[in-house]
Parts: sequence; C-alpha cells; structure tokens
Amino acid sequence: MTQEAISIRSLNYSYPDGTKALEDVTIKVESGEKVVIIGPNGAGKTTLFLHLNGTIRSLEDNVNVFGKNIGRMATEERIKEVGIVFQDPDDQLFMPTIFDDVAFGPINMGLDEGEVERRVKKALATVGLLGYEDRVPHHMSYGQKKKAALASVLSMEPRILVLDEPTANLDPRSRVDFIRVINDLNKKEGITIVIAMHDVNALPELSDRVYVLNRRVVAEGSPRKIFSDISLLKENNLEAPEVFNLFKVLRCFGYNCDDLPLSMYEAVDVLTKTIEDGNGHIHLHIHEHTHEEVKKIMYSYNHH
Amino acid sequence: MEYPEIDRYASLKSPIHQFDPRAKIISFSILIFFVVFVNELDIAVINLFFSFILIFISKLPIKFVLNRIKWVLLFVLPFLIIMPFTAGGSELMTIDGIKMTYEGLVLGMLIVLRATSAVMLILTMLATMRFDTTIKALYMLNVPGLLIQMLMFTYRYIFVFLDEFLRMWRAMGSKGFKLKANMYALSMLGNVVGMLIVKSYERADRVYQSMISKGYTGNPKTMVKFNMVAKDYAIAFLLISIAILPYISKVVL
Repeated sequence: MTQEAISIRSLNYSYPDGTKALEDVTIKVESGEKVVIIGPNGAGKTTLFLHLNGTIRSLEDNVNVFGKNIGRMATEERIKEVGIVFQDPDDQLFMPTIFDDVAFGPINMGLDEGEVERRVKKALATVGLLGYEDRVPHHMSYGQKKKAALASVLSMEPRILVLDEPTANLDPRSRVDFIRVINDLNKKEGITIVIAMHDVNALPELSDRVYVLNRRVVAEGSPRKIFSDISLLKENNLEAPEVFNLFKVLRCFGYNCDDLPLSMYEAVDVLTKTIEDGNGHIHLHIHEHTHEEVKKIMYSYNHH
Repeated sequence: MEYPEIDRYASLKSPIHQFDPRAKIISFSILIFFVVFVNELDIAVINLFFSFILIFISKLPIKFVLNRIKWVLLFVLPFLIIMPFTAGGSELMTIDGIKMTYEGLVLGMLIVLRATSAVMLILTMLATMRFDTTIKALYMLNVPGLLIQMLMFTYRYIFVFLDEFLRMWRAMGSKGFKLKANMYALSMLGNVVGMLIVKSYERADRVYQSMISKGYTGNPKTMVKFNMVAKDYAIAFLLISIAILPYISKVVL
C-alpha cells in the first residue's frame, strides 16, 4: 500500500518585496519514494523546502504531510515527520558541541535522557561520526560538518528527509559516502527522501522521480524522461549526466540500445548485456553521417 | 587557521582542571568579588601572589597567560601615572609644579593590583575548562536562558565570522588592496565591516530557520553530566575561605 507522504496543492509564495518565488506549485511524493527537485539557481527550491516543515506557513490549507496540515501541527509532532538538512552546515550546527547539536531535536521532543543518548549514538553511527560527540564544529572539516548536520536531523528520526544540495562542495569520497548514507536510509529505514540539487551526475542514483522547478513545476517524470528532453534542459540551465551523453554519442557510432544508461552502474549493465548478446563483441562503426550527428549532439549540450 | 581560543589548554591535567565546573565558577566568582573590593595594599599584593599560585597549580603556560594579560595591563597601567597626579591627599613630591600625592599613588597601585589579580583569576577559571563546559555549568547554575544563548551563539559563531572576515580580507589582498592610513583604505575597511554585518544578519535568519526545524521553542535545553564529589566541596571551601580570610582577620583583630 502506498501512502501519500507529501502533498502540495497549487502553492503560491511571494517574497515580502512582491517578487513571486513559487507559482501554482503542485507536488506529490509517495511514502518511501526518492524525489529530486532540480532547477536553475533561484528557482525557489529553498523556499519550497521551508514550507515543508512549517518554517514558512501557507495561509491556505495546501501543504500536507501524511494527510495532515503541516502548518497546524505542534512543534514536537512536526519535527517527527519532516527533517530538513540545509545547505550550509554552519547554519545547522549552532550548539557548542556535536553532541549538543545532535541531541537538540530529541531533547525538544521531550524524550528521556536514555532515549536521547541512544538516538545520538545511532545517528552519529549512521553518518560515520561515532566518537565525535565532544568535538566543536570549528575544529571539523566541511565534509564532517555536513555529515554532522545530517546526523542532527536523523536523531529526530523523521519519516521524511529533505536535503538541500547534499553533495555540493564535498570531496569525491565524502560525496560517495553521503549518497550511500542517503540511499541506505531510504532502503533500510523506508525514509521518504526529497532532495534539491544541481549535481546531475549523482541524480540518477538518488531519485525515482524528478521535478523540474522554475518558480512553477515545469516538468515531472523519471530521470530518463527528463534528461531525454533537450529543450527542457536548455530552458532551465540544466544538463544530462555525462554517462547519458556518452552513450548518446556511442549511438551515433552504431551502438544499439533502447534505454540509454544514466549512471555508471547502469552503463556497466547495458554494456555487459550488449556484449553478451553480440557473442562477446561490440560493433561500432563510422558511416557518412556519423560526424555530423556527433557534432549535433555535442552542440546541443554546449549552451552557446 | 589558528583561532585565538581561550580554552586551548583545557585538556591539561591539574587540580584546577579537574575541579567541578559549577563549583569552580561559584568559588572563583566569590574570589574575584573579594579581590576586586580589597582596600588594603598589602592584602592586594597577597591576592596577586595567590592568583599567581593558582595559575602555577593550573599548569597553564606562562606565555599564554601573559598574552592574555598584556591587553588588560595596557588599559590599567596608565592609572599608575594618572592617579598620583589627580587624587587629592598628602604631597609626596612636586614635578614641574604638579603635585604628586601619596594617596593617589596607593590608589593607582590598588587599581592595577586588583585588576591584574581579577583578570588572572578569570583566566584561570575559563582556561581550565572547555568553553562549552563553562556554558553548560552556567546553564546548570540556572543563569537566565537568554544570557546562556547569547554566550552560546557568540562562542559558536565567532569563529565562523572570523573565517568570513579573513576570506574577504584575502580576497581584497588578492586584488591588490593594501591597508594604508588614508581615506580610501578606511572606507574599504568600512565596506568589509558592513558586509560582515549583512552576512551575519542573513546567517542569523538561516540559523533561526534551522533551529525552528529542529523544534526550537525559545528555550534550548541540554543534557549535562557533572558529578560533585567530596574533593570538589573541599576545594571550593578552601578557595572561598582564602577569599574571606583577610576580612575576618580584620574584624577579629
């Protein structure tokens, strides 16, 4: 049985100076789903997220979480449903030590000391920061702070996890770690994940479904559907993953496959299958139109 | 980068480091109170000596201590010169027709001695425990939440702002800016400070949003595990006795 985790119906929001930030935004996320929201800078992603935990309250009854209006929920109830990990960990870690930060939410939920400690331990273990309890944030690297910020939200054990640019500014190793942690949370704990990001190469691993947001919802669909629509990508300053583009080029060289792979994992699967079907070989060739077609593809991805 | 941290040597081991944070704050506060209100020169000298002994016991590096105290001395030392010439009393000597008084000299010395001992005591108190421990101890002592939060955020974000300032400063340096004593440099410095204020205002907004999303309702609670043992009571009693002793002896004798 699938349940609706998030339901936003025609949400509008304007900044105090009158600029429209969100226009008629309708988004639905099923329980247990991984949804990524992409869009150009200033598309309203952060504003949308602030609605999701009641930091900004919609005057209309149109932001619901598990069927309940988020604006009318009590604080303790709200933080049990939705946890938001903001982009800059220095904004999220505001207490003197890591322990205090991770314990902040659980203490506000009114849990007893034993339970608070259990949750802090579990959250830190999940992100791989056990033993960092007494550290102060200014003695930690950016990657560690980012993980700590995630732990400080996980300790509230929310059913929905909202992440703003989780992979931005991380070194490759931390980025991989972070993606794995998020996927584990989704798979093992069934946490619904909503992510805003620009990192299109990480997107296929992190999403079942994609929304393209540019003040209004411009498009919605599977990552493959979104990335296949070149004019959509162009209009919204987006790009397809490198692997996807590479296989598009390979297609010009006569490589035959129905679904273009979006990530390295898919690429390996697709290649293995083609080689096995072709009795251990891949056939690529150049015919008279190949260069022209390749040029066309290369050109369509250069935004100038 | 190297931060000017007050609690850099909080991990040393000494009787003062191991003293319970709450008892430490209370007994040192009482100590400082009496040190500041002393009126006799001889007792003030003894107090200064006592502050030195405490620093010695705490094993804090002398260089670290001097580095902190020099700024205070910069402010109080002038009193040693100003007071003798301005306070009234019996004449000690006259320089170029300006009268220098005995009472003024004593007062000036008292001010310097009191301030130096008090600052040394505060330093011994703050530098022998981590600053977050200090904050938690104050929380346990029921200091008003507003004060605790101000202290907490100051401590947390002072390093963030320092980094932000240095980033801007380096960016300016890399575009050829040199600090000189002219209007242009001053106005640039003004811009940097202004930017810092705008940035901190925006950050405050974001921090508040993240506090809300973690269930903040106005009163941050925290969990503290301090354990007062007999030894802590004994040290506290000893320190407070030393503070009051000169006053009692004066009354008795």
